[in-house]
Amino acid sequence: MSAVLKPKSKLIVCDGNEAAAWAVAAARVEMVAVYPITPQSSLVEYLAKFVADGRLAAELVDAEGEHSVLSVLQGACLAGARTYTASCGPGVAFMFEPYVRTPGLRLPIVMGIVTRDLLTPQSVWGGQQDAMSVREAGWIQVYCESVQEVLDTTIMAYKIAEHRDVMLPVNVCHDGNYLSFGAARVELPDQAEVDAFLGEKDVNWHVALDPRRPMAVDPLTGGAVGSGPATFVRYRKGECSAMQNALSVITEVHEEWGRRFGRTHAPLVERYRMQDADYALVTIGSMTGAAKDAVDAARERGEKVGLLKVKTYRPFPVQAVAAALAQVKAAGVVDRSVSFGWNCGPLFQDVIGALYHAPRRVAAMSFIGGLAGADITTGHFDEAIRRVAELAQGAAAGGTVWLNEKD
Amino acid sequence: MGAFETISFRPENCNGCNDCMIACAQAKAQSDDAARSRIQVLSSDGSYELAMCRQCGDPECVHNCPAAALSKDAESGVIDWDASKCVDCLLCTVGCSYGGMVYDVDAGHVAKCDLCDGDPACVKACPRGALKFLTTARIYNEVGNLEDLFVPGLAGCQGCNTELIIRHAMRRIGPEAVVATPPGCIPGMGTVGYNGLTGTKVPVFHPLLTNTASMLTGVRRYYKRIGRNVKVVALAGDGGTADVGFQSLSGAAERGEEMLFICVDNEGYMNTGMQRSGCTPYGAWTSTTPVGERGRGKTQDAKNLPLLMVMHHCAYVATASTGFMEDLYDKLDRAIEASEHGFAYLHVYSPCTTGWRFPSDQNIEVSRKAVRTNFVLLWEFDPQSGLRLTHAAEDPLPLAEYVMALGKYRHLSEEQIAHIEGTIAQNVKFVKGLAAGVPLAAAPA
Amino acid sequence: MDQTHYLIVGASHAALSAVHAIRLHDAERDITVVTRDQSLPYSPTVLPYVVSGRSAPERVFLRNEDYFTRLNVKYRRGAAVRKVRPATASVQLDDGEEIGFSKLLLASGAAPALPPIPGLAGVRFHVLRTLNDAIALHSVLPKTKRALVLGGGLIGMHAAENLAKGGAQVTVVEIQPHVLSGYFDADASGIIEKVFATNGVRLLTSSQVTTLAGSGEGCRAMLSDGAELDADLLLVAAGVAPVTDFLDESGIEIDRGVLVDDWMHTSAENVWAAGDVAQARGFFEADKIINGILPDAVGQGRIAGMAMAGDAGAKPYAGGVPLNTYAFFGQQAMSVGVQESALDSSGVEVYRQVDAEAARYLKIVLQDSRLAGIFGINWAFDPGVMRELILRRIDLDAVKQPFLDAPQKIARVLMSRNWR
Ligand SMILES: Cc1cc2nc3c(=O)[nH]c(=O)nc-3n(C[C@H](O)[C@H](O)[C@H](O)COP(=O)(O)OP(=O)(O)OC[C@H]3O[C@@H](n4cnc5c(N)ncnc54)[C@H](O)[C@@H]3O)c2cc1C
Ligand code: SF4
Repeated sequence: MSAVLKPKSKLIVCDGNEAAAWAVAAARVEMVAVYPITPQSSLVEYLAKFVADGRLAAELVDAEGEHSVLSVLQGACLAGARTYTASCGPGVAFMFEPYVRTPGLRLPIVMGIVTRDLLTPQSVWGGQQDAMSVREAGWIQVYCESVQEVLDTTIMAYKIAEHRDVMLPVNVCHDGNYLSFGAARVELPDQAEVDAFLGEKDVNWHVALDPRRPMAVDPLTGGAVGSGPATFVRYRKGECSAMQNALSVITEVHEEWGRRFGRTHAPLVERYRMQDADYALVTIGSMTGAAKDAVDAARERGEKVGLLKVKTYRPFPVQAVAAALAQVKAAGVVDRSVSFGWNCGPLFQDVIGALYHAPRRVAAMSFIGGLAGADITTGHFDEAIRRVAELAQGAAAGGTVWLNEKD
Repeated sequence: MGAFETISFRPENCNGCNDCMIACAQAKAQSDDAARSRIQVLSSDGSYELAMCRQCGDPECVHNCPAAALSKDAESGVIDWDASKCVDCLLCTVGCSYGGMVYDVDAGHVAKCDLCDGDPACVKACPRGALKFLTTARIYNEVGNLEDLFVPGLAGCQGCNTELIIRHAMRRIGPEAVVATPPGCIPGMGTVGYNGLTGTKVPVFHPLLTNTASMLTGVRRYYKRIGRNVKVVALAGDGGTADVGFQSLSGAAERGEEMLFICVDNEGYMNTGMQRSGCTPYGAWTSTTPVGERGRGKTQDAKNLPLLMVMHHCAYVATASTGFMEDLYDKLDRAIEASEHGFAYLHVYSPCTTGWRFPSDQNIEVSRKAVRTNFVLLWEFDPQSGLRLTHAAEDPLPLAEYVMALGKYRHLSEEQIAHIEGTIAQNVKFVKGLAAGVPLAAAPA
Repeated sequence: MDQTHYLIVGASHAALSAVHAIRLHDAERDITVVTRDQSLPYSPTVLPYVVSGRSAPERVFLRNEDYFTRLNVKYRRGAAVRKVRPATASVQLDDGEEIGFSKLLLASGAAPALPPIPGLAGVRFHVLRTLNDAIALHSVLPKTKRALVLGGGLIGMHAAENLAKGGAQVTVVEIQPHVLSGYFDADASGIIEKVFATNGVRLLTSSQVTTLAGSGEGCRAMLSDGAELDADLLLVAAGVAPVTDFLDESGIEIDRGVLVDDWMHTSAENVWAAGDVAQARGFFEADKIINGILPDAVGQGRIAGMAMAGDAGAKPYAGGVPLNTYAFFGQQAMSVGVQESALDSSGVEVYRQVDAEAARYLKIVLQDSRLAGIFGINWAFDPGVMRELILRRIDLDAVKQPFLDAPQKIARVLMSRNWR
């Protein structure tokens, strides 16, 4: 990230939850529906305060639960509103029913997930199990590394979601506890610049609940006869190709952001010290900061280790991941959540799936850490780097390594 | 051509006292001679028959008049007789096959009922409720000219009144509306359309069973924000209202969201095969409360959803029945109006011919019996005036008249009937208590 | 050539009833109504009252311009049809103009029939069928001292009464032994005649005018009994005949009137006829009859209109039932159905109550316990209800005595039970 201060931008110190709220204001969101849940609550409070202070000119609905939160936004979006909400953990689980429906309706809703581990055991702390559990529902998911990236990405998310080649909802994920409450210096972009960047909102040209354009939104579709099967397939394939379109749209939007605001974020994946790397760590979210420190230290020691951060998780940037890892002998994928059926991390699953497209076999192993608020320290990453180095030298991969197992 | 107000006659209530005829003769001929009355009640073999002007829609007397002395008033529907044009030819009496156009010897010309300018003396004079002045025509006239906002040929079960409810409601509400019909009979009969086609002429959404009130919140709030008055309407079944839909309903009601939520209560999950819901009454057979060796139907009472909505302090709450359309319409009007500034909830009972097991031509009759036995209480509520019964709960018909009309109660034991009677008695007491109580708005904090 | 979907010749009861029925079913297609009259539609029945001055001519119109505009009907006055050509689906007007049609209704009614009395052509006389006839009569009334009416039928009697009320000394000459013999029997007519006599109208029954000659402004009539009568006003009301002259070369089947089936359809394709011009099935007789009364013109017009518009609700004609209501000098006579003399005698029962002094009369004719006719003078019953009893062939066996005792009440009860 290279920061060139633009003349009319403003510097503040805030945490990731507040940064998201600033982004919502900057994106001129018109309808916000919220329901508080740890560790997202302060985000909701910032939104409410911004509305009360007149900084955010949005209609705020304090709904009676997350299920309704997303339902309110669906209604508003169908009526033509730009919309926002955020949730996490059990809240995401509760809204699953309207959640899975949003992409099919092709509604460009933006929702922050302040990632939190899922029950049970009962827990209120960070972890990415919530977002990962809904990774196949058809939402775009991007994961942020820093407070600034939360702010910038939340704004960019509207441009991505509302792009006519995409028209899909976007989850901007930032890690509970770490990014939600960790304060940092951030730059607030100039409003006029944001307006110019986002342009006119474009949310319900394709589907609307508007007496001036009466239509049946989501009639019964499918069945075994008539036009049903073909119609249903058409909708599903449409979603899939929009997902694929999103890869290039996300890239373009990030590039434009860099041009306009002088601050660039890697759109799909970030290669860190990968040039001559023999092996690499693969990370996602805020853990990346500590991982980079560990990589830097290892490089000091002369180890040829690099790092690949995945920002865009859905759609999964298969080509970008495969290309970046094609040059290394081994990769260690660090997850903050679990894929129970595979007894590994979900990101690991995706990475090895992508490596199928690599010209040669790359050894890979799964690390799981940071569950339920646990720290993944540079010490943990040192350990991971050591294990991946062994792997690169031909050691057997072994099973998943649970980084906090002995903490 | 519209419909018009009219006098109806219930011979079973008549005892031949002739008060109506005397009142008419006095009002119209300044005479006490019943023979000069324009309404003639005839006693014959212990029953009573009626001869009077029917204010026909396509009146033959008018066609027959050579002097243009007769005309049908387009507003009132009354067939007016113009004395200054009449030539006493009596040809109108040939046209009338109802004995409604009669030569009055003393007056020297024909005489006919003119409905006393909409306040008939005979009706007022009838001490036994045998004559009634029906003003339901207003409904037909007002609604008949409004656009039907559903396509023809919705595929409801034969005899179901849901179509009646939703078509009439939407005509009244008009096209500046967004409709949500959560899963159930209403979308099931085709309102939301199939495979790219629609069943409705207004924007319609097929929301989740769970989130109707919430998504309508979003629609309404956004339009309000941009200065457009778009009505938002839920046409929901009792499951999507009282059971799984209750949370979002309750939330929206509590927040005072501006919408009209119409619950078409058929007392169960009828669309999915007649399973029990929270609105299924005690003792009722459903496919999940079957009757067998040990099962005797549902073992719990229905939850009283409309009363729960009263406790949400909604802008308007009412129960209604298609057995009493005038009442339903009044409530619909008030509910629409209330939905402009708050949450309006209308609970309409919908006997299910298929799931309740009764002949498909009996729907309205069953609706009526439900009310006349107090099984269903008709009332309305708003915070300013409190709760008001709109159909007297006194002198109900015996409960058996209702439950025995329905297959779903055919197995009931005496104890079960007694239980239902107890529940009804409690309900009546409770609702009457509310009706007698202080309006919520006036209650001390 | 003007083209119209529905073309209707005539603008009186049959025509108006047809227009109404068409528009109930078909709001769209062109309707053109042509009448040889110069005015808005009116009824011939009201004309006696125009003669007497009771009805102002400008207040008798059955429809106004607005009605035709609203119903999108082209109303053409002063347009007499001269020829009808079913083969080319067109008609020709008196001025030579042609109008093409898809469906044509003949509702040209009837016109006075002139008796072959020597000298008639040479004297000034009146008839009463059009508004102009009535206005002309009304205007000569003040100067009229002695009026002579030829014919004691309904039109003649109506006219006679109203001429008398207008101040004239009126004599009616009727060839039959009684007036109104088409509707009433001798007893009933006798009562009516008495009332006329009491009111100063002279009725010469079983009498005939043999020749007529002019005399000053008026005329002199020679009667069959040799008597002579001077009158300053002569009204010829000796029957009417359907107006069919314009159909001469049309090929449409005509007996006395235009022959029609039970849908009022004529022998020509797309041509219907209704009202006084039509000859249709009688309810009581096998032959087709001309039931020249207003209610039948209305009923036939409706059937024709519905048939022309393709209205599936149309019901076939039940057959003409003679009927009339007759108000005279404040009394009422009503006749519904047929006299016993018109029926073959099997199963016929006749009940009568006559009180000539009080001018009260009732006769009920039953056949096979069903009502065939009911006739009354100053006797209250509902003719419309009685007609329905006849048409529905309601069996009165179970209520015969009560019906005979109180026909109005029992008929109403039957109405309430059978077709309410
Ligand atoms: C004085 C009088 C009293 C009567 N009283 C009674 C009574 O008490 N009760 C009763 O039932 N009936 C009575 N009638 C008879 C009754 O009026 C007729 O039965 C009725 O009017 C028939 O209606 P219609 O439409 O068939 O024809 P009409 O009323 O005769 O109308 C015929 C129409 O056709 C038009 N027309 C004719 N020829 C042409 C042409 N070639 N081109 C264009 N237009 C043409 C005429 O202008 C007129 O508009 C009476 C009739 C008269 C004259
Ligand atoms: S009696 Fe009077 S109202 Fe009746 S038809 Fe004759 S003119 Fe018309």
